[in-house]
Amino acid sequence: MYRYDEFDHALVRERVAEFSDQVARRASGALTEDEFKPLRLMNGVYLQLHAYMLRVAIPYGTFNSRQMRRLAHIARTYDKGYGHFTTRTNIQYNWPALTDLPAILSDLADVEMHAIQTSGNCIRNTTTDVFAGAAEDEIEDPRPWCEIIRQWSTIHPEFSFLPRKFKIAVIGAEKDRAAIRTHDVGLQIVRGEDGGTAFRVFVGGGQGRLPHIGQEIASAVPAADLLAYLTAILRAWNLLGRRDNIHKARIKILVASVGLEAFREEVDKHYATLRLEDLRIPEEEAERIKAYFAPPPFEDLPEASAPFDRALLADPDFARFARNNVRRHRQAGYASVVVSLKPVGGVPGDITADQMDAVADLAERYGFDELRAAYEQNLVLPHVKLDDVPTVWRALLEAGLATANADLATDVIACPGLDYCSLANARSIPVAQALSKRLADLDYQERLGPVRINMSGCINACGHHHVGHIGVLGVDRKGEEYYQITVGGSPDEQAALGDIVGKSLPADEVAPAIQRTLDRYLQIRADGERFIDTVRRVGPDPFRDAIYETLDAANA
Amino acid sequence: MKIVTANRLSDGRVIYAGVDNQPVEGIGQASILDDAAAEIVLAEVAGRPDIFVNPYLVEVQDRTPSGRDRLKERIRSAGPTVGHSVAGGVS
Repeated sequence: MYRYDEFDHALVRERVAEFSDQVARRASGALTEDEFKPLRLMNGVYLQLHAYMLRVAIPYGTFNSRQMRRLAHIARTYDKGYGHFTTRTNIQYNWPALTDLPAILSDLADVEMHAIQTSGNCIRNTTTDVFAGAAEDEIEDPRPWCEIIRQWSTIHPEFSFLPRKFKIAVIGAEKDRAAIRTHDVGLQIVRGEDGGTAFRVFVGGGQGRLPHIGQEIASAVPAADLLAYLTAILRAWNLLGRRDNIHKARIKILVASVGLEAFREEVDKHYATLRLEDLRIPEEEAERIKAYFAPPPFEDLPEASAPFDRALLADPDFARFARNNVRRHRQAGYASVVVSLKPVGGVPGDITADQMDAVADLAERYGFDELRAAYEQNLVLPHVKLDDVPTVWRALLEAGLATANADLATDVIACPGLDYCSLANARSIPVAQALSKRLADLDYQERLGPVRINMSGCINACGHHHVGHIGVLGVDRKGEEYYQITVGGSPDEQAALGDIVGKSLPADEVAPAIQRTLDRYLQIRADGERFIDTVRRVGPDPFRDAIYETLDAANA
Repeated sequence: MKIVTANRLSDGRVIYAGVDNQPVEGIGQASILDDAAAEIVLAEVAGRPDIFVNPYLVEVQDRTPSGRDRLKERIRSAGPTVGHSVAGGVS
């Protein structure tokens, strides 16, 4: 993985010193909250319901055991012993004191981490396929390009005061495991006409109050011109985007209002000159960055592993874990292991300091010291020898991290909601917990197969409810929590927004209604159909009927 | 009736204006004020930004938040309804 050079170290240390001074001036009263707010937001610090919240960047979700142990140390020393992984593959701490922030940021800088650009109107953490560098279907590892984007976008003077935040995701396979079409810009690595690396570019995706699926603006931008093309997009938006209305400032609104063709013309105008300037990425520089992401020293192994196969036969719980949480790897004899942060009744994405240490130990011992944060709020050990998977599973079991539910119905994506967030209208976590307990039976979940359920506590959609196969949005109705259900959303290469099925439900009706939806699917699915396939085939009506049937009966 | 609440500057914790407008952590110690008194206390604590960040008024009935934001204010006063993620689950 990437290691800081002297410029990275100096930049992060300078920022720690600068922000420490700002914190000291705030604590002394020299800065007012209004003066301090834009400064803290440039450093990932929010003021939430109960405390300050610090969001720490995990660039493209890739980190190592030393960094994970430092995250555990921070949770223990400055917080309440846990952290929360987010849908931007960052980690949030919910309870740090203002006066501890300089020490926390200094501790992070020691291990090449920071909180720069995890909030505010700037280019946020670039995300990617959690299986990058491990997936069988990848044509190229997207992480070097994420790193190049990170270096280009970090404290970029032109893009530090954008109309709103800006999110980029990159994938290296046809299969979209990073929800790129829900991003301001989504990039898919393709082969250009000359056979070289190129990028298919989607623009204007986004969730929130006015959701849009990204549209293809370019089919194959040559790799060397990537930064010129991204600059052209950002410049066009920065000049034309609205700043008078926060709800209409994202690039999705601009693209939708002027139309894709007109926006493309604007971008091409800038691109025509920008591509002739110094923004071309020199091949040797791209190669230098790629070298950081060279595959680890894999052993030459057969496809099959006797210890793995024996464990499959010996232990049905391991067999279930292997079915649901172990993914095929491009290298024979290896696998990627999904570490679920969705235990039955737990808080989606939460992890304790001890669990962080346990995962760090496993990454160091069995995983070439590499860890990934998934936007689904799980962790991944990307490179584990199949021979070692049973041992890793037993250690995860001991740490309470072996829930065999990856991509199943209880692998719920949920924002912190009104339990923590000052923007939320309703709670999300208790609704996710109620659903998790109701659907806990793993035999039932496996019968259902892959289903993505997403919950957001407000229209800002941090829980990505618009693109959940089943989405749940918390709303406030005269001071009471209600939940609007959508069906048929999809975050992947067939990206779609879900349909709102009808009037919102009270909190305790949500889990039963979702279970009826899933039961209806089991009744009507054709052979081999996943939940989302059935929804696409029959539309939302049968599910609407299922959701409201008992309510209608009660009202009849 | 109303109470005055804010977040504490040093650590962001929820505080209320209590006796002599001193910051108190428990909603039980918050001064219960009529509309006129509430405005006066709000102005007073707004003048102490070294402690009270973003102060505002909360409607209460029997010391329990009762206005439109009552759920949010109850959560602020009691902490997350889902407890904390600690070893072995949620407490």
